[in-house]
Amino acid sequence: MQGSSTHMLDSLQSLISSSRGVSYVEARYQSRSMTDVNFVNGELERIRVVENSGCGIRVLVDGCWGFSSTSNDTSFDALKESLGQAIAAARALAQTKKNRVQGLAESKMVKGTFRLKVRGSLSDVDIEQKVQVTREAEKAARKHSKAVSTASCVYHEMLDHKVIVNSDGAEVEIYDSKPEFSVTAIAKKAGQSATAHEGLGITGGWDDLFGAKSQFDYAAAASERAAKLLEAKHAKGEKTTIILDPGMVGLLSHEAIGHTVEADFVLSGSVVKGRIGEKVASELVTLVDSGRSDLADNAAGTIMVDDEGVAAERTAIIENGILKSFLHNRESAMTFGTASTGNARAFQYNDEPLIRMRNTFVEPRSDRLDDMIKETRHGYLVKGARNGQADANGEFMFGAEEAYLIENGEIRELMRGASISGNAFDALLSVDMVGDKFRYDIGTGYCGKYQPAKVDGGGPYVRCTAVIGGLQ
Amino acid sequence: MLDVLRYAIKEAEAQGADDAEAYAAVSAESEVFIENNDLKQAKSQAISSIGIRVLLNGSLGFYSVNRLSKDDVKGAVSMAIKVARVSPKDRYNSLPSRSKVRLLKGIYDRKAESFEASDAAGLAAEMLQAAKSYDSRVSVDSGNLARAVATHALANSNGTELKERISTFSWSIMGMAIEDSNVSSFDFQSGGSHFVKDIDARRASVEFAETVVNSLGPQRITSFRGEMLLTPSAVNELVEEVISHSINSDTVQKKSSQFAGKLGKKVSSELLAVEDDATNTEGLGAASFDREGVPHRRNVVIEKGVLKKFLYNTYTARKDGVRSTGNAGGSTSSPPSVSATNFIIRPGRSSVDALVSEMENGIIISRFSGNVNPVNGDFSGVVKGGRLVKNGEIKHAVKEVMMAGNVFDALRHLTGVSREQKAIFDSILPYMRFDNVSFTAG
Repeated sequence: MQGSSTHMLDSLQSLISSSRGVSYVEARYQSRSMTDVNFVNGELERIRVVENSGCGIRVLVDGCWGFSSTSNDTSFDALKESLGQAIAAARALAQTKKNRVQGLAESKMVKGTFRLKVRGSLSDVDIEQKVQVTREAEKAARKHSKAVSTASCVYHEMLDHKVIVNSDGAEVEIYDSKPEFSVTAIAKKAGQSATAHEGLGITGGWDDLFGAKSQFDYAAAASERAAKLLEAKHAKGEKTTIILDPGMVGLLSHEAIGHTVEADFVLSGSVVKGRIGEKVASELVTLVDSGRSDLADNAAGTIMVDDEGVAAERTAIIENGILKSFLHNRESAMTFGTASTGNARAFQYNDEPLIRMRNTFVEPRSDRLDDMIKETRHGYLVKGARNGQADANGEFMFGAEEAYLIENGEIRELMRGASISGNAFDALLSVDMVGDKFRYDIGTGYCGKYQPAKVDGGGPYVRCTAVIGGLQ
Repeated sequence: MLDVLRYAIKEAEAQGADDAEAYAAVSAESEVFIENNDLKQAKSQAISSIGIRVLLNGSLGFYSVNRLSKDDVKGAVSMAIKVARVSPKDRYNSLPSRSKVRLLKGIYDRKAESFEASDAAGLAAEMLQAAKSYDSRVSVDSGNLARAVATHALANSNGTELKERISTFSWSIMGMAIEDSNVSSFDFQSGGSHFVKDIDARRASVEFAETVVNSLGPQRITSFRGEMLLTPSAVNELVEEVISHSINSDTVQKKSSQFAGKLGKKVSSELLAVEDDATNTEGLGAASFDREGVPHRRNVVIEKGVLKKFLYNTYTARKDGVRSTGNAGGSTSSPPSVSATNFIIRPGRSSVDALVSEMENGIIISRFSGNVNPVNGDFSGVVKGGRLVKNGEIKHAVKEVMMAGNVFDALRHLTGVSREQKAIFDSILPYMRFDNVSFTAG
């Protein structure tokens, strides 16, 4: 059975103090309750409630990492056995590992209890209501536009309770709440189809999700856009001026820059290796990764404290165009002779902490979107971040749901979604206008790196040069 | 384990469920991670979980918990019933009746039980060594080698009681080649087996090393329309997703499959043959029964370019008035979905070398990074590890080439399938060559 939180904290503390022959040990209990409701075309596609809890134990022995986890039984004896397995795993590496972990950077270990801010606790909302809003939004998306005959709607929530204790003094308890809601509409005619999404993923509660927009507003937006996209032509493939919306800026920041500055990627030879202090972007660009919800509320990647017990504060990766910092856990910080940036994150109890982003964004400046359009002779305004990928050399590619053609300072026509690609640093060097309004907009996404992580990203509108690739 | 499942069914019936199913999995896993050209961490975990599905007046409830004590299971059953009470009624909800399952051989190796973290560490070190000794410019970003020994079991209120053991080994390696300031495209290779003796992690390492070294020194090319030769990994990224989406009865019924209404019709060039086969033990998706206890079998889906069959679970089969094809998928933490088991594109007659030598003007693609829309088949993205082929000869690596088109159109322009195949987890795929693809230089 699940232990009460004080019991768990005590139990983990005794476990840590009982461990022998290890240079570092960390124990993390996590209990997660997840609810999913999904309607497709008027039918319940999926409903489930999943409860997962357990304890993950990580040890550093002779410069080798070992990790073990257990779920069925979190009694002290079971934890003790699991600790033994983690130590055995670490010892298994000792024969073959070449470069031993040199140690962990000194970090201030957090002690305390954190409850991430929510308006309207998700556990106070009955599952019946979660089913109802999802059902209504899906139906509304189909009714709203004639061309839309297929729609779906997803409600997803993750409620976490974590207890983190380590041998360097961390004693953290975190209560987190991350819901998301998303409507997809597909418009069709004569063998052609167009898809549009409208959704929000946040750290927060029920009223944060539905306070500003009702389920019907989400549905109407997705439905209208799908119908409009169906009538749109494909964009021509070319390298040109592109105005990215906040979601696209978030995706660029996360996928194309953020991954290259994760210290583990840097050590493997990413394109930014050895370039701290160099100009890598236009001076208009300040790019940040933060575990707090800076500049706007409810960012989905908010964590407050990372899974090594380090405060997850604002890290300026690029400041006024100059590369300032990589993203670190305590191990990589030691290697680089710097401090941890609080980026060690684990998804579930049975995942080990890895260097992961949190909320990654470009800070706003002073340009108005209208002026950005007015000053564009030929180019595109692209909106609606879709999936994206990037390589260690900074080459990126990601999808945009909408692309508006701009000619002579005016928005002309809506084109179908297209890929935007280029080299991320070239794109950032080409930035010549940065908008004044900030928004987080990729909170419905997960980042994948062996394990998922809830992340967010955003920015203002940003103008740059990149390749838009349409169908030819 | 079956005791717990029986208890769950009895409890669900006592609490008012019309039908109930309990699916549980217990596994012991160990894994060694590679990072930055060295071993990173060793991990071991014991996982157990149960998923309870109940039907109540035609409504579905589902709850999953990762503890198997009687109290936890009883709580999960009550929660599943609570969920069913707020779910809409659906007359197609039902559980499969009991059927005879013949247990598959060749998916469980008793030696896997004594395969220790130190064995995994030794093999992972060999993988690193193989990549590095292929070429010193190779840099391994990450990789892993994992072992899982699992038991999955299912019981339902129609009297089904099934249990089997499966052992799997899987490994992967990814990274790039670095020469001065020149960094190649990323590549990812993987492999898997059910038996200790079949672990061949070295092969994935060498293929990875070869691919990244070949993509060093890329040159810009001009935009053109020509042929593409996809490696099995690229087939996996670009083609498989679209086909497996389209042959899924669920997407067909939801009108999001381009194959809807096309049974018996030609959907591609004659060279394409696709099957779904969980009884093929080469794939890691092999198992004797599916997520709701229906026996697995070989399903021929596309033969000579003609669409023969869709994949069904019990729910979608009932909707179409047919029988389940044994394609209920998913883990203990979800109600059954419809999914392919081992997705297989059957090999062709040509060798890869012959496919290359016949190319006039095209690109060999190891990886595709971009968007593929499984509904309409549109894809657009960047060619990774691409190499230009002119008049049958491989010329050089290509830089930042965008590729856009449509998978369904491409299947009609399929001009060659290799006789070489590669197993990628639960897919078994050949090289495939297509004509009439548009490449845009960056």
